[in-house]
Amino acid sequence: MIDSCLRIATLAENTVRQAIRSRLLYTLLFFGLVMIATSVAVSSLSYVESERIVQDVGFAAIRIFGVGIAIFVGVGLIHDEIERRTLYTLLSKPVSRMEFIAGKYLGLLFTVWIQLAILSLAFVLVSLAVGAPVTASLFAALGLIGAELMVVVAIATFFSSFTTPMLASLMSVGIFVAGRLSRDILQLGQGSGDTGTAAAAEALYRVLPDLEAFDLTVQAVHGLPIADADVLLPLAYGIAYSAVLVMAAAWVFERRDLR
Amino acid sequence: MADAIVKVEAIVKDFRPGLGIRAKRVLHGISFEVREGEIFGFVGPNGAGKTTTLKILMGLVRPTSGKASVLGCPVRESAFRRHVGFLPENPYFYDFLTAREILDFYAKLSGVRGAARKTRVSSLLEWVGLEGAADERLRGFSKGMLQRVGIAQALVHDPKVIFLDEPMSGLDPIGRVAIRDLILGLRAEGKTVFMNTHILSDVETTCDRVAIIAGGRIRYEGRTRAFLDGAERLSDVVLARLDAVCTARLEQRYEALVTGIGDRAELRVREKDVSAVLAEALRAGAEVISVTPYRVSLEETFLAAVASSGTGEAS
Repeated sequence: MIDSCLRIATLAENTVRQAIRSRLLYTLLFFGLVMIATSVAVSSLSYVESERIVQDVGFAAIRIFGVGIAIFVGVGLIHDEIERRTLYTLLSKPVSRMEFIAGKYLGLLFTVWIQLAILSLAFVLVSLAVGAPVTASLFAALGLIGAELMVVVAIATFFSSFTTPMLASLMSVGIFVAGRLSRDILQLGQGSGDTGTAAAAEALYRVLPDLEAFDLTVQAVHGLPIADADVLLPLAYGIAYSAVLVMAAAWVFERRDLR
Repeated sequence: MADAIVKVEAIVKDFRPGLGIRAKRVLHGISFEVREGEIFGFVGPNGAGKTTTLKILMGLVRPTSGKASVLGCPVRESAFRRHVGFLPENPYFYDFLTAREILDFYAKLSGVRGAARKTRVSSLLEWVGLEGAADERLRGFSKGMLQRVGIAQALVHDPKVIFLDEPMSGLDPIGRVAIRDLILGLRAEGKTVFMNTHILSDVETTCDRVAIIAGGRIRYEGRTRAFLDGAERLSDVVLARLDAVCTARLEQRYEALVTGIGDRAELRVREKDVSAVLAEALRAGAEVISVTPYRVSLEETFLAAVASSGTGEAS
């Protein structure tokens, strides 16, 4: 068990070193920072609640570019290992495919969280500069974006375990969008009045990630109180959902011929 | 007889190209064994099924049917890889790492811990002759240097068996000699080496035993020397003043292969026919210059074995 954890940690560390060499990552990070900085200019167009506009735009920038980094950097990592045949030497060591997937996932997640920390720092500095309130709710909301990214990285890892980066990107973006709309799908199904449609909508809601559960932007921006359960339950849900996806990725990858 | 370290029994492998429904069979029930302490050459033309076999042994590809084991463990389990090293064909490593860092990385994955790891990495870098470039990034390495890094990573956890896929392919003569010497050094240390290759001169000089694979089937398995000796023995007979009539007769009667300039002729004949050819040539007034046994190279024997299979391509 300890040996296995050490191998996963070694693979994760190497994945971070690999991922931070990606130009795409720095491009997305740069535009994320630019968007946060320009939120000040956007807010100046409004006469009211300019601080809230800064924070709304800031949260949107962090979420969009965090998800972008998670998906577009993440989907290439496993594929690159196969294409460049670095995977052959890795798997010739006493490394199981489950450990490989877990190491890749954790390495990518850590990389994404580093980017989240950088974007969050810029966001807090801009908020302070325009006199917007920096409260505990704001940090809780940022923390849950981290949990949301944990799920998105798991989605990207799952798809990249069996398909090309292009298809994996499309599928991951599709699941992300569907995940943001999963509550709406459920409500639409329930409001349709048809039992079959309602059951199908509920089944879809159960399978798709409920990414809205991680969105506390409104509470944070408007300074509304956030209960512990609003943070802990989505966090537990995110961990469980990600664990299932990573195990599914390992199961699929285990059965794959590496030609 | 030494114990079987690698055992392949009736392995069949089918691939489905793309979304194709029809499977393409690349291995047709192959079986062979590799014994302890030997250098085993797995020889075949491109597309014969060598790399697929090696990938099955390393657990990278699953066989459609049949069994394969290394050190008594089924190849699907990862535990035996503690005792196995692998050098893939044209290895690629993370080129942002230095030679020392990449070996340290593989050593960590192989469970080499603490101070032993540092010592092992340094001694391997010295053994493969890379101590001077140990702290340079791999992106600046030549193919020969990368191949040496590849051999070092395969040995980083001191394995009992080493699998090498085309270890000398694409190297210049100096690089090939260096890698060949490293492989011979492994045998001297008591390691078992399994080597995929299509470079026959390397097989001839390094391998104790060979298996010839063509078209996804094993055509021969046995000692390299026995494989060479099993071929028909020939001799080169050099004659002077051999007239055209006699030359034609020898060509026809003994299936002699005749080359020559002027009145000097060189005949390649079966060893058993040498006496008769000489007698007939002398009767015709020819002068015997020399008779030399002709040693059939592995290449010719190999080509004959592959030709008997009809094609080199796995199908």
